[in-house]
Amino acid sequence: MADKKETPRLFAAMDVGSFELCMKIFEISSGGMRQIEYIRQRLALGTDSYVSKKISLPKMEELFRILQEFKDVMRSYHIKEYRAYGTSALRETENTEILLDQIRNRSGIKLDILSNSEQRFLDYKAIAASGKQFDEIIAEGTAIVDIGGGSIQLSLFDKGRLVITQSLKLGVLRLLERLTAIKPRSSQVEAVLDEMIDGQLHVFRKMYLKEREVKNLIVMDDYLSAHFRKAVAGTSEKNVVKAEDFLRFAEAIAPEGSEELAERLELPEESVPMLKISAGIMKRVVRSFSAEALWAPGATLCDGIAYEYAEGKHLKSAARDFEADILACASTISRRYMGSRKRAAAMEQIALAIFDGMRKVHGMGERERLLLRLSAILHDCGKFINLTNVGDCSYSIIMNTEMIGLSHLEREMVASVVKFNHEDFEYFEDLSAHSDISEEAYLTIAKLTAILRIANALDKSQKQKVKEISAVMREDRLLLTVDAGADLLFEQERVRARADFFEEVYGIRPEICRK
Amino acid sequence: MDFYNTDYYTNRELSWVRFNARVLSEAKDKEIELFERLKFLSITASNLDEFFMVRVASLKDMVHAGYNKKDIAGLKAGEQLNLLYPVLHDFVKDQYSCYRMLAKECQKKGLVMVERHEDLKAEDGEFVDRYFTDHVYPVLTPMAVDSSRPFPLIKNKSLNICALLVKKGKDPSKEKHLEFATVQVPSVLPRLVKLEDKDGQQRVIRLEEVIERNMHRLFLNYDVLGSAPFQIMRNADLTIEEEEAEDLLKEIEKQIRKRQWGEAIRLEVEKGIDKRLLKTLKQELAISDEDIYEIDGPLDLTFLMKVYGLEGFDGYRHSSPAPSEVPQIPAGSDVFAAIRAGDILLHHPYQSFRPVVDFIRQAAEDPDVLAIKQTLYRVSGNSPIVRALAEAAENGKQVSVLVELKARFDEENNIGWARMLEKAGCHVIYGLVGLKTHCKIALVVRREEDGIRRYVHLGTGNYNDATARLYTDMGLLTCSESVGEDATAVFNMLSGYSEPLGWNELSLAPLWLKKRLLKLIRRETAAARAGRQSGIRAKMNSLCDPDVIAALYEASAAGVKIDLLVRGICCLKVGIKGVSENIRVYSIVGNYLEHGRIFVFENDCEPEVYLASADWMPRNLERRVEIMFPLREPALKQRVIHILDMQFADNVKKHTLLSGGEYRKEKIGKNENRLSCQELFEEEARRMTEKRKGKKASRRFIPRSHIDE
Repeated sequence: MADKKETPRLFAAMDVGSFELCMKIFEISSGGMRQIEYIRQRLALGTDSYVSKKISLPKMEELFRILQEFKDVMRSYHIKEYRAYGTSALRETENTEILLDQIRNRSGIKLDILSNSEQRFLDYKAIAASGKQFDEIIAEGTAIVDIGGGSIQLSLFDKGRLVITQSLKLGVLRLLERLTAIKPRSSQVEAVLDEMIDGQLHVFRKMYLKEREVKNLIVMDDYLSAHFRKAVAGTSEKNVVKAEDFLRFAEAIAPEGSEELAERLELPEESVPMLKISAGIMKRVVRSFSAEALWAPGATLCDGIAYEYAEGKHLKSAARDFEADILACASTISRRYMGSRKRAAAMEQIALAIFDGMRKVHGMGERERLLLRLSAILHDCGKFINLTNVGDCSYSIIMNTEMIGLSHLEREMVASVVKFNHEDFEYFEDLSAHSDISEEAYLTIAKLTAILRIANALDKSQKQKVKEISAVMREDRLLLTVDAGADLLFEQERVRARADFFEEVYGIRPEICRK
Repeated sequence: MDFYNTDYYTNRELSWVRFNARVLSEAKDKEIELFERLKFLSITASNLDEFFMVRVASLKDMVHAGYNKKDIAGLKAGEQLNLLYPVLHDFVKDQYSCYRMLAKECQKKGLVMVERHEDLKAEDGEFVDRYFTDHVYPVLTPMAVDSSRPFPLIKNKSLNICALLVKKGKDPSKEKHLEFATVQVPSVLPRLVKLEDKDGQQRVIRLEEVIERNMHRLFLNYDVLGSAPFQIMRNADLTIEEEEAEDLLKEIEKQIRKRQWGEAIRLEVEKGIDKRLLKTLKQELAISDEDIYEIDGPLDLTFLMKVYGLEGFDGYRHSSPAPSEVPQIPAGSDVFAAIRAGDILLHHPYQSFRPVVDFIRQAAEDPDVLAIKQTLYRVSGNSPIVRALAEAAENGKQVSVLVELKARFDEENNIGWARMLEKAGCHVIYGLVGLKTHCKIALVVRREEDGIRRYVHLGTGNYNDATARLYTDMGLLTCSESVGEDATAVFNMLSGYSEPLGWNELSLAPLWLKKRLLKLIRRETAAARAGRQSGIRAKMNSLCDPDVIAALYEASAAGVKIDLLVRGICCLKVGIKGVSENIRVYSIVGNYLEHGRIFVFENDCEPEVYLASADWMPRNLERRVEIMFPLREPALKQRVIHILDMQFADNVKKHTLLSGGEYRKEKIGKNENRLSCQELFEEEARRMTEKRKGKKASRRFIPRSHIDE
């Protein structure tokens, strides 16, 4: 394979953002990704949808037109594979489905909506893909500040692992809209902006930062990072800027007139308000976290989309174990709600043994395996609120917690599995009455619930008696061979009680035998 | 120091007249072939016509609009006109003394131009009368003026003959019996009427003389007391879009409705015209004395271009050698392979324009080419490039063409082929709102084994295979990744997408180029102040941007040596104490029109070499899409520096700007060898091709890969 010249694949990534549409075309080969087109067109969809939950007709027409043009460009490169994603501006519309259908019919582009956590995960992948510098930076306490139109996402790293990620509704366009509504005098703008940002930032710091030290900030945005080097000229190396230099720059531009600033930084005047707000946000974050340095890798969502595509096609080996980040985040959440790490680990071990032993039967893949692990980790978070109603409380906590890398549906699946581990299982008819979950997802929930229930039963005493476990299929039985340090009478009884549901789902009965 | 002091600047119009005077000096130059001199004289005449129609007309518009802002040299429009009138009258006198000299020379060489019909011999008279009856009379429309017939509308720029008539039998000494009549010299007939050869000499007479001789036959019941040719110019049809007028008209955009449409701004009459005829013309056209030119010779000297084209006389014309082949891209070779082997610099017209045409032509046929994008400003009629683009679209390639329709004179021509391109399936953009696209760039996107590769042509001259044989220009063919990326960004911007986050190599007007240019000049200034090597050498068509000139003054004051080759208008003054003592300005006017823009900055002993589509004029830097691009390959940089060296060393066609604003033509010194850079470049281009051919000499047959046209 190394000898034969490999013809690179062309791939287009489209991002229908809240103030800009952009498309990047990449050439992807095992040698890497090479960007060959980067087209951007301003279209502030967010100013419509954040306010009215709808997108006005003229903007829709413009959207169709631009997407059609993107398609033409794609066609000129004979590109067949693309991914097109909409983010917060489209996500926040009331009639999203209708919109997507119209877009498909009018422009021929199949557009999908990314949930915030999926979008941020792709952003994160784009950043992580920018190479060695990333690994070096996150070795110390680091936060990613991903500034979007509708919200910003703060993600914290601890010892090289992503541990917390939280979205705050402090997006550039949203703040701009609010500023416009407040109509402050130009001398007041800065103070008003600081107030808007500080409140939310303060809460975040109190809740998550605590003793954590954040030395480095990684910035991802469309305005500031693009002009980072120019903006803080002379002081930056490899796009890393010292915090004090950045603060000086941010202070300097705040009162500067649009025209002069545009002229000085060589950017279009219309971008100046966004740049100022971006800089204002970063200024508050730097101060609040007492960060020492800022890094702007210049990555965009489109890079993340292409990265994921390449990963999926096995054209690129993962720059990083992203699953480990997702699991680390889940552990942090579990810890926040005083979940037992030991118990979670025990349940995870048992559940995975069952999952792996039954691969031929259940037909589920790696993604479902991840969901199962997450369910195990988060299985009892609800008890933080109420010991007698753990299932419902856990469901609510998970549904209201950002889980990076998961789509909304996946999050709901995890929440449901955790819930039904405690509560009675709801069949599709009942479930679909209050959720728009698909049949396919429902089946996965049932399968994962059955496994998690057995795992739960096997550690019912919460004493982590199971040292080792293996699962083997024997005709219509699942033999769970357990090496336990103590007797398992209580657990065996619980497994028997829960085996009915397992049998119902898989047509197989689990049986425990001691080693 | 105020480098913007208006005393330091030359008025643009006066500088232009001096440029035209340099062209006229070519017509006077005895070293030059006689017919070439006729051509140069003809060019001064058409240049001057355009100058009146556009610049003088616009200045008059400004006066009428009451516009009082001063120009770069601190002059109001009216003041500029007052300075111009005597200069223009003198210039015209100069033109005609040159004409008389050339006419005499022609006679010596076997071409008799019969100046007046009165000089015709009897047999010639019969001949021209027959010609009049057969060909001229049927298309004439004589018009008389009296109480029932108002003064006719005289068409702008048309040649006419006016006549003073008296009805047969009436007393001509009584003014009330006199009548005025006029007839247009038909533009559909050739201006020159060939007489029979005599004593081995070719003889011609101008059409208006033939008509004048037969004037009585147009007004049968009248006696013709006198007649004379005249020509008027009006300020009609001028819009802000007009290339050469926009800087003036833009200023009075709001008052533009106050302009007096159709006002006569110049009247040319034959010297010795009957006073009564002149009086009538003056009255009817409402024209003042300074706008009347009494011409001692034939009106409208552009007919000399026809004389230039007369058969025979080959020895009196300059024979330019055919452009040399570009050694890296011999005819029939694969242009893309050649570009992959290394950047290629093209020097037209010494080197053939054909590789550029082939670049597009081969792209059109190449199955691996995905897209072709190109700007077209002025293309030749029946342009092979346009045909290739259409073909490419028909072959299913994505073809985007930005057609600039505001280029004067060829607008109708442009619309025709632009439509044709659209029909063929090209994506045609008809210019940008508020900006003219003047940059010359072509991009070919090709899918190759190891991925997408972009090939780019960047040039200083238009994609016009006809003018590429007459204008000196430079071009670059490259497949450098960084230029390719920029080129893609240029076309994305031209298609209306947002600007890129940054540029690798190219500088674009109107957003970045001027700033970049000023930065480059100021870097030299800083170097000079710090005692490091500094220097600027640049070649362009016109220099009149005040910011650039002020920056050059500042650089000069700091000690930067600045050598400029400015072919046309130059508002910069040399030799001002403390301001421009380090600046030298030269102008080359030769057989080929100097057209390339080359800028070299010393950059502390690591010279940077740029080529550009833009002159240092406000219109180019602020109201055009233009591109400046650097040359990176040391060998190419060296070649361009050599080209500049030779231009500055020219001692045949070079004029030097003096501190008084006049130009002095270079003379070959006693111990100097003659050096005409244009001739030298012809020679060098030929040698380059031969050298390459010599290297590759082989005795095999080379099959043609396609049919040449």
